[in-house]
Amino acid sequence: MKTADLVLGVLADLDEERLITLCDSLRTLLGSPIVVALRNDHAGNPAQTDSAASEKSASPYLIPWPSSKTDNPGTPVLNIATAYQSVFAVSEQLNARACCVIASTIENASPDWVRQLAQPLMEEDFDLVVPQYAQRKFEGLLNNSIISPLTRCLYGKRIRNPMGPDLGISRRLFVKMLGAERSAGGGGHALASIAPTAACDNLKVCQAYVGRRTYPPTDWTNISSLVAQILGPVFLDMERYAPCWQRTRSSVPVPAFGESVFLSQDTGTVDISRMVESFHLGIRDLQEIWDLVLPPSTLLELRKLARLPLEQFRMPNELWVRIVYDFALAHRLRTINRDHLLGSMTPLYLAWVAAFAHDVGAADAAGLEQILERLAVAYESGKPYLMSRWRWPDRFNP
Amino acid sequence: MWQQVKQALAQSTERFLTRFADLLPGTAALVVAVLISIVLGFIVAAIVRRLLTSMQFDQRLTQWGFHSSAEWSPLKSPTLLVSRAIAALIVIAGFLIGIAAFDAEWTSLLARSIFDYIPNILGAGLVLLVGSVIARYISRSVLIGAVNLNLHYARLLSVGVRWLVMVLAVAMALEHLRIAPGIVELAFGILFGGIVLALALAVGLGSKDLVTKSLAGDAQKASAEKVEEPFRHI
Repeated sequence: MKTADLVLGVLADLDEERLITLCDSLRTLLGSPIVVALRNDHAGNPAQTDSAASEKSASPYLIPWPSSKTDNPGTPVLNIATAYQSVFAVSEQLNARACCVIASTIENASPDWVRQLAQPLMEEDFDLVVPQYAQRKFEGLLNNSIISPLTRCLYGKRIRNPMGPDLGISRRLFVKMLGAERSAGGGGHALASIAPTAACDNLKVCQAYVGRRTYPPTDWTNISSLVAQILGPVFLDMERYAPCWQRTRSSVPVPAFGESVFLSQDTGTVDISRMVESFHLGIRDLQEIWDLVLPPSTLLELRKLARLPLEQFRMPNELWVRIVYDFALAHRLRTINRDHLLGSMTPLYLAWVAAFAHDVGAADAAGLEQILERLAVAYESGKPYLMSRWRWPDRFNP
Repeated sequence: MWQQVKQALAQSTERFLTRFADLLPGTAALVVAVLISIVLGFIVAAIVRRLLTSMQFDQRLTQWGFHSSAEWSPLKSPTLLVSRAIAALIVIAGFLIGIAAFDAEWTSLLARSIFDYIPNILGAGLVLLVGSVIARYISRSVLIGAVNLNLHYARLLSVGVRWLVMVLAVAMALEHLRIAPGIVELAFGILFGGIVLALALAVGLGSKDLVTKSLAGDAQKASAEKVEEPFRHI
């Protein structure tokens, strides 16, 4: 049976030549690890479209993706989660020490990236390496508004991109993830659970500066389902790891590897009218749903916000944090159907994006960091509110 | 002559008294049945009320989306509505049992036909309940989806869809109750078609600009795509 030290999974359709280049860069790590990469059989390589021929001519360290990766068209987020499961399964079969997944676009699959993600796993014995991208101010908004500060507040690890999507994972962690997936009967969402599992099991977590990531463009007609797909598993993990995060009192920075890169930030104004309009529609039409989820004080604040003119549109961090916590609680209590709940959160999220666009209008890279830090601190300051409502949802309702 | 009148009077009095005496056990049974059913109804209603209160039925009903149920409930409490409805059902059942105690043929027939009709009433109630739940769910889905697509007529669309489902459920319930099936069928067709037409007109007129824009051609689309959108969510 074939074995490997490190398994590399690249979701983008790379040709074999580039894949071999990536593997070669990883073989230069300490101890010259045996690297196995998962290969797309339908990648842009016309000479090797026939799988039998491809099998013969390919490098012995390239193996095809398990069928589940490509057979399930699904949505991008679900595809990534499935691909992670496939990489974990292959890594377990090959008895690998670690695995790396590059789920971003093809431009991001560079030797530098995979080396940065793999090095702490292979040379420093870390269990989870999360990427720290060089970001522009309007990139990774869902992560910056909810996932990153919420993970920091709940699990006490200051990691910027807990859901990657490009991650390095040790054997200890992927075996746990596979075990959890099997016990959940295949219904889990691997990507969202990786960072919480690592944090709650006291595994070693670090960040790697990997440079600029190319983000996929926004599909505005599909933003609601995107929010639901991302936040649903995050809220489910909150429920699963409640005993863990209720014990966590404060957050700590994690070790970082590589050189941080700051991108020049645009200082021009952006059009937020579409997002504010969506929020106004929500205020007008979704009141009956928000009434069930949000406490009266929050609803009052939202009504005040709706009366503000466009140029003064600001959402206080504390208000946003309470909204996120109340939606997480409603998700746990099943106050209303979960799809409806997450769908009704989209106008509120867009209101946050609009207010954020105002806040960071003229900010440079350092200013952006300060704004995100203030938001993360607001999440931590609001944690007692979350804990009170989580423990006594009926009694504590301001 | 006087003797004959006296005899006829005595005979009619005797007949009346005999008939009355025949009715007495049935009347007594009716009174007893109604009294027992009232007491039973009161006890069952109290138990149901307490059970529903402990389950926080009113709050749960609101969470499930039945806001309007509180408006037509006594004291705006669906718990009271349910408990009183159960009590009323028990009293009606007791009354029917009492009526059946009269040995007269017509009372038996009446009671039997009413008892035969009860499954239809229960079936119609179930159809209405399920229809109402489905209408709420679908209308909420439509409302959220339409708001997230920035449609200004989201509320109208949601209400229209709810009424479509409710009209269908009411028509099915009336069909189940065998109440004027021909008229119900006709009325349902007219009402259902009317709602669909009204919705189509409202949505069509509301999205006139949208359709115009989408039909404007690829040139505009191409130029719109050139506008760089800075927001990246994930």
